[in-house]
Amino acid sequence: MDFITENLLTILILLPAFGAIALVGHQMFWKQEGQLKWITFGLTLVNFLISLLLFTGETTSPGGFMFEKNIPWIKAINTNYHIGVDGLSFWLVILTTFIMPISVVSTWHAVEKRQTAFYAFLLLLESAMIGVFVSLDLLVFYLFFEASLVPMFFLIGVWGGENRIYSAVKFFIFTAFGSLLMLVAIIALYYMYAGVNGGVGSFDFVAILNAMKSGNLLIAGQGASLLFWAFAIAFSIKVPLFPVHTWLPDAHTDAPTAGSVILAAVLLKMGTYGLMRFNFALFPDQSREFAYIFIVLAIVGIIYGALVAMVQPDVKRLVAYSSVAHMGFVILGMFSFTETGMQGALYQMLNHGVSTGALFLLVGFIYERRHTRQITDFGGIANVMPLYATIFVITTMSSIGLPLLNGFVGEFLIMVGMWKSTVLGITGSTNWNYIATMLAGTGVIFAAVYMLWMVQRVFFGKLTNPKNKTLKDLSWREIGLILPLMILMVYMGVHPAPFLKRSRESVVAIQERVVHQTGGTYERAEKKPAELEHR
Amino acid sequence: MNTILLQAISNPDVNLQAILPETIVAVTGIIVMLYDVFAPKQKNVTTVISLIGLAIAAYFMYSMWGGGPTTSWNGMIANDPLRISFSLVLLFVAAVTILTSTVWSERETVPVGEYHALLLFATFGSMFMASGNDFVIIFLGLETLSIATYVMAGLRKSDLKSNESAMKYFILGSFASAFLLYGMALIYGATGTTNVALIAERIASPTFPGLLLMGGAMLVIGFGFKVATVPFHVWTPDVYEGAPSPVTGFMAAGPKAAAFASFIRVFVIGFPLIGGATAAGYLHESWVTALAVMAMLTMTVGNISAIVQNNVKRMLAYSSISHAGYAMVGFVGAGVAKTPEVRDAAIAAVAFYLLTYAVTNLGAFSIISLVGQKNDRRTEFEDYNGIGFKSPVIAFSLSLFMLSLLGLPMTAGFIGKVLVFRPALEAGSVMLTTMVVVAVVNTAISAYYYLRLIVVMFFRERTTDWSEPKMPVGVAAVLLITIIGVFYFGLFSGSWIEKFVTPSAPTAVQAAK
Repeated sequence: MDFITENLLTILILLPAFGAIALVGHQMFWKQEGQLKWITFGLTLVNFLISLLLFTGETTSPGGFMFEKNIPWIKAINTNYHIGVDGLSFWLVILTTFIMPISVVSTWHAVEKRQTAFYAFLLLLESAMIGVFVSLDLLVFYLFFEASLVPMFFLIGVWGGENRIYSAVKFFIFTAFGSLLMLVAIIALYYMYAGVNGGVGSFDFVAILNAMKSGNLLIAGQGASLLFWAFAIAFSIKVPLFPVHTWLPDAHTDAPTAGSVILAAVLLKMGTYGLMRFNFALFPDQSREFAYIFIVLAIVGIIYGALVAMVQPDVKRLVAYSSVAHMGFVILGMFSFTETGMQGALYQMLNHGVSTGALFLLVGFIYERRHTRQITDFGGIANVMPLYATIFVITTMSSIGLPLLNGFVGEFLIMVGMWKSTVLGITGSTNWNYIATMLAGTGVIFAAVYMLWMVQRVFFGKLTNPKNKTLKDLSWREIGLILPLMILMVYMGVHPAPFLKRSRESVVAIQERVVHQTGGTYERAEKKPAELEHR
Repeated sequence: MNTILLQAISNPDVNLQAILPETIVAVTGIIVMLYDVFAPKQKNVTTVISLIGLAIAAYFMYSMWGGGPTTSWNGMIANDPLRISFSLVLLFVAAVTILTSTVWSERETVPVGEYHALLLFATFGSMFMASGNDFVIIFLGLETLSIATYVMAGLRKSDLKSNESAMKYFILGSFASAFLLYGMALIYGATGTTNVALIAERIASPTFPGLLLMGGAMLVIGFGFKVATVPFHVWTPDVYEGAPSPVTGFMAAGPKAAAFASFIRVFVIGFPLIGGATAAGYLHESWVTALAVMAMLTMTVGNISAIVQNNVKRMLAYSSISHAGYAMVGFVGAGVAKTPEVRDAAIAAVAFYLLTYAVTNLGAFSIISLVGQKNDRRTEFEDYNGIGFKSPVIAFSLSLFMLSLLGLPMTAGFIGKVLVFRPALEAGSVMLTTMVVVAVVNTAISAYYYLRLIVVMFFRERTTDWSEPKMPVGVAAVLLITIIGVFYFGLFSGSWIEKFVTPSAPTAVQAAK
C-alpha cells in the first residue's frame, strides 16, 4: 500500500500503458479478441479506484503539490520526470480515470473489428492524458501533450465515420502546429532561466516559477509577449477557441463514440488547464494585458457556437458546436481573474466533461440502433424509448444550465465572476465587464434554444418514420453506463462545495499570482529591459 | 616554408593508432572484395565479414573516447569529439545498411559482394571526412566516398532508373567536387595553408583577404551539394528514387553525415567568430547568414515538395532534404557560439541529430526495401494501401519511423530536434530565433506527408492483392535495432548525449566546476 501511495501518479500513468502492451501480448498468444474489452474495462476501473487514493493526499503548503516526484530524466539537458498534483489538476485526473471505464463500456458492441489496436490505443490515450495533468516539467508536459495526439489520431482514422481521414489529419495538424510553437517557447524559457541560474538551465516549471516569483527571473516586453502567445496559441487550439475551433466539429463528428466522449470530456480540458497552469502563472502581466482578446473571442465563441449549433442537421455535430460554446464560458471565467470566476471555470470544465460526455454517449446509443444521426430521421421516439428520452432530457437540462443540475453552478459562478471582474475596465460610463457578462448570458438562452429545439424534433411529436417504431429502449449495460454520469449531474448541481473546496487553494494561488504579484516585474524590468528582451 | 614542408615529409608524424579504425574498414573492404572474386556465388559470407570488420573498427573508435582533442600525422588527422561521434554514426549506418541488403539475397541477382566492398570503401572515405583536419584529407575522403557511392547507385545494371540515378549523381557530384576544390584552392591562396587549425589561426590576418570570401562561397556550394541543401538539392529526388532502396537509405544517412562532419569542421572550426571589421569577421558573418538562409530554404522547400509526392522514396528524398535543414539549424548555432564549450555542445547536438535521423531513416528504408520487392517495383503510396492490419509488424514499425521523423515526443527524432534547436535559441539573435520558428512551422507542415503514409496504411482499405513479403533475418535484425534505437534515444538518451557533448575527459570538466 505504501508503495502505491508513494508512486501513485506514476502508477496511474504507467498502468494503462503497460496494459496496452499486455493487450497486444495477450492477442499474440491467445487470439481471443472477445476477452479484450473485459481486460481493458478491468484495467481502467482499477486505475479509477487507484486514483481515488488521491483523496488521501495532504499538501505541505496551501495550494502546494501532492504526491510529488522528481527524478532526473535526461541529465544532459536537465529535464526531470517531475510530477505532482494540486487542486487545479486533482479533479481533472479523477475525471479522466472516471470517464475511461465508461467509454470502454460504451464500445462494447460498437467496435467489432481490430479490437486489439482499439483498446490498446484507448489505454495509451489514458496514460498520455493523465501525464499531461500531472507533469510539472515543461518538456515532460510537452511530451505527454503531443503523445496524446497519436492514439486519438488512430481512433478517429481507423474506427471513425465517413470523413474520418480528413478529420483525423486535420485534428493532428492543427494541434501539432500549435504545440510546436510552444516547444520553442519552452526551450527559450530554459535559457532564460539559465541566465539567472549560473548558466544551468531547467525545464522545471516549479523552479522557473519560483525564480519568477522571487524576482530573479524577469521576462518583460516583446519577448514575454511572444512567449505568452506561443503557449496561448497551443492551448487555444486545444480548447478550442474561436477562430481555431474548426477541427473540433469534424473530429467529434467522425470519431467513434468512445473517442468523442474522451475528446469532449478530457482532451479539450488540456487547453484550458494549460492556460491556467502555465500562461497565468508564468506570464501574469501578459495574461492581464491580452485578457480582453480572450474574453472577446470567448464571447464570440459562445454566441457563434450556439448559432451554428442551432442549424446543424446532425445531432452529434450539434453537440460538438455546443462544446465550442461551453468552452467559451470556461475561458471567460478564467480570464475574469476573480476567484469566483476561476473556480467556476474549473467547475465548468468538470461539468462539461460530465454532461457533454453523457450527450455523446446518448447520441452513440441511438446511432448504434439506427446508424444515422440526422435530426430529420427521428421524431417522436419518446413514444418507443421513454427511458432514453427521459435521460436525454435531463442531460440536456444539465448542459444548458438548469438550476439544481451541475451546469448551472458553473455558469453562474463564471458570470458572477465576470460581473465582479475589473479586467476589462471602465471607459466613461460603460463598464465593459457588465457588457461581457450580458453578452455571455445571451449564450445561455441560445443554448436553451438549440438544445430544446433539437430535443423537441427528435423525441416529441408524432412517430412519423416507420423505421423508428421498432427501436428498443436502453439496455441494462447502457443504463449502467449513463447512471454514474446522471448521479454526478445531480450531485454536482446540488452540492458543489466538496469539489470547489479541493481546488480553492490552488486556484486562489494562481489568481493572486496573476492579479497581485505582478507589479514588481514591470518596475524591475524597466531597470534592465534591453538585456532581458534579447536574451 | 619549404624547409618546414621538407621536414614534414622527411619526418612524418606517423601514428597508425590514430587511423586504426579507418584502416580496419579498408582492410575489411579488401578482404571482402578478394573473397568475392574467389567465391562469387556466396550471398551471406561477405555480410558476416563486413559486420565483423565494422564491429572491430567501432570498438577501436569507441575506445578513443575520453582521450582529449589531439592531432596526428602533422596535424592532418584530428582526434576530437567531432570525429569520434560522427565516425560512430557512420559505422552504425554502414552496419545497418549491410544488414538491410540481405533483402537481395533471396529475390534478385545484385552483386552483393561487390556492393559490400563498395560500401566499406565508402565508409572508409566518409570516416576520413570526419577525421580529416586538412583540406587534402577531406577532399580525398570525399572522393573515395563519392566514387563508391556513384557505383552503388547504379548497382542494378539493367534497370534504367538505376542507371539514370548513377549518371546524374556522378555528373553533378563531379561538378560539386570541382567547386569544392576551387574553394579549397582559394582559401589556400588566402591563408597559405590547407590545415583547418592553421587556417583558423591565420584567418585574422590573411595574405589575400579578397580570396577568403570567394573561397568560402565556393566551399558552401560544394558542401551544400553534398549535404543536399536548397538550392543545391535538385539532384536528390531523382538519385534517391532511382538507386536501389538500401543504397538510398545509406545515401540519406551516411554520406550526408560525413559531409556534415567536414562542413562543420571547415566552417565552425576553420572560420571562427572573429570580431571587428576584418575580412575574417565579414566571412564569419556572411557564412552564418548564408547558412541560416539556406537552412530556412532547405526546410521549407524540402517539406513543401515532399507533400506533393506520390512515391514513397521520393517523399523520403525530400524529407531527407528538409532534415539536412534541421541539422543546419544546430550547425549555425555552433557557428555563433561564443565559448568553445557551447560550440562543442552544438556540434555534438548535430552529430546526435544525425544519429537519430540515421536510426529512423534506415529503419524506414529497410521496410521500403522489403515492401518494394524485386527492382523496387512497389514504392508508390498506393502500394501501401490498407496493409496496416494485414501486416501489422511492418506497418506499425513504419508508422513509428514516420512519427520519429516527424519528431514526436518519446521517439529519437524528438530529442534530436530539441537538441539542434537549443544552440540556435541560446544565441538569442533575431535571425536564429526566426530560423527555429521556421523549423517548427516546417515540422508541422511535415506532419502532413508523414501522416499520409500512416493514413494510407491504416485508414484505407486495400483493393488489390497483398502478399506479405518474407522477412529475411537481416531485415528483422535491422527492425529490432532501429525500433529499440528509436525508443531508446527517445526516452533514455541521457548518457549518449552526455558522451557526445563531453566526450573528452569528462572528469576534468567536472573537477573544474
